[in-house]
Amino acid sequence: MALAQRIGRSRHRLVLLALTAITLLTLDLRSFGPLDSAQRFVRDLLHPVTEVAGTVFSPFSDAWNAVFDYDDLEAENAELILELEQFRGDEIRAEAERQAFLRLLEATEITYLADVPFVAATVVRGAVGNFDSDVITIDKGSQKGIRSGMAVVTGAGLVGRVDRVDATTATVQLISDNNLVVGVRLVDTDQVGLGQAVPGEDGVFAIDQGLDWPEDDDLSLLPAPGTAVVTAAASRYPAEIPVGWVIAAEQAADELSLEVTVRLANDVGDLGFVSVLLTEGVDQVPLEDPVPATSVPLTVDTQPPDGSEEQGDG
Amino acid sequence: MSTPLKLIGVYLIAIIVQLTVFIDVRVAGVAPELLAMVAVIAGFFAGTERGPIIAFGAGLIWDIYLPTPLGVAAITFALVAFAVASLEEGLFHDSRFQLFTVVGLASGTTVIGYALLGELVGQRGLVDVEMLRVALLVGVINAALSPLAVPVMKWALVDGERR
Repeated sequence: MALAQRIGRSRHRLVLLALTAITLLTLDLRSFGPLDSAQRFVRDLLHPVTEVAGTVFSPFSDAWNAVFDYDDLEAENAELILELEQFRGDEIRAEAERQAFLRLLEATEITYLADVPFVAATVVRGAVGNFDSDVITIDKGSQKGIRSGMAVVTGAGLVGRVDRVDATTATVQLISDNNLVVGVRLVDTDQVGLGQAVPGEDGVFAIDQGLDWPEDDDLSLLPAPGTAVVTAAASRYPAEIPVGWVIAAEQAADELSLEVTVRLANDVGDLGFVSVLLTEGVDQVPLEDPVPATSVPLTVDTQPPDGSEEQGDG
Repeated sequence: MSTPLKLIGVYLIAIIVQLTVFIDVRVAGVAPELLAMVAVIAGFFAGTERGPIIAFGAGLIWDIYLPTPLGVAAITFALVAFAVASLEEGLFHDSRFQLFTVVGLASGTTVIGYALLGELVGQRGLVDVEMLRVALLVGVINAALSPLAVPVMKWALVDGERR
């Protein structure tokens, strides 16, 4: 009898917990202000503690990486030596391509990041859980004027968008997350479409909505490989931020649409510094290097900023 | 020190270690789920009445840092803790191997439950083959870490009211 009563009580409690969870879920999905504030408060409260703990535990993390990632480091080192040799041989060609790209930028009047205020930030950590590999945390938050939805860039181009903002930190949803849909423009053909990262393929982005297959099957109207892809003016990000370049264009299964595959300009798996553009949805965004690119730059030469603490004033 | 205070201390230590040590220290790219381990051990030692509540608290703390909406990890942990507590009533109580096996299996289950519920509330890309790999590794790692966590949880629960 007592056991049955206890089981009954337990089930009632479980139902109450389920109802509480459903309530929290609903409120959170509707961005209920007090709930957001409470979560921000806890994160802000724990942030200094995690900073100190991170410093204390860093020798352990370093030792772990040294022991268990040694083979990876060795392989990476060998790969880098090969790449360096290849780069030496390609130096002249790369310079020529860079000049050509600069001419393309001038010709198409693309400007990127001039006159737009930005905040340079350091990436403090990557994924916290096992399912959020396309999220990073940066060391700047609402105290520096960062708001949810702002574009995050490096000198190479778009990195992602600000997702969750706390007082001193913010999380960024990376462009490698296929949940992040970006409005883009093909510079070559001036077509506008929507695209997102291709799951399971690092650095590949597909534009699969909004592009029409050329009438009369005129293949000369297709975007050429190497064509720059930038954010569209109608997107929720500032216009003309480099996204990548076209690597393939093909007819969609419906035979009416065009699907374009793009190589992303940024290697978001290896970010150290980023810049948050303190603006949303403006038509023209300008050019000046905020922070050094972590991969092949799409823009002019980058110089490291004096410090990541500095706030850009355009 | 009262049990709720001790449990808050355990939650804080678990989340801080998770956010610092296990950002870098991973096995094949997978980190242990310390809060899930707290939840499972709470279910094992605190029973069907208190276990799910303690697990819910652990999940709620973890939810604050996860990209899914608040409550997904909390209810997953609570349900798994309830299942563990119900199961534990029918088990022998003299085997450490049994405890570690339960921690491993239940931790893996929390990963799968979290992914399924996350998909249900609109988070894409959680349910795939990778989820099974993560669940398996989390189970193994959590089981391996449980000898460290069990004494702490026993202390927090005043040495386990059921044992």
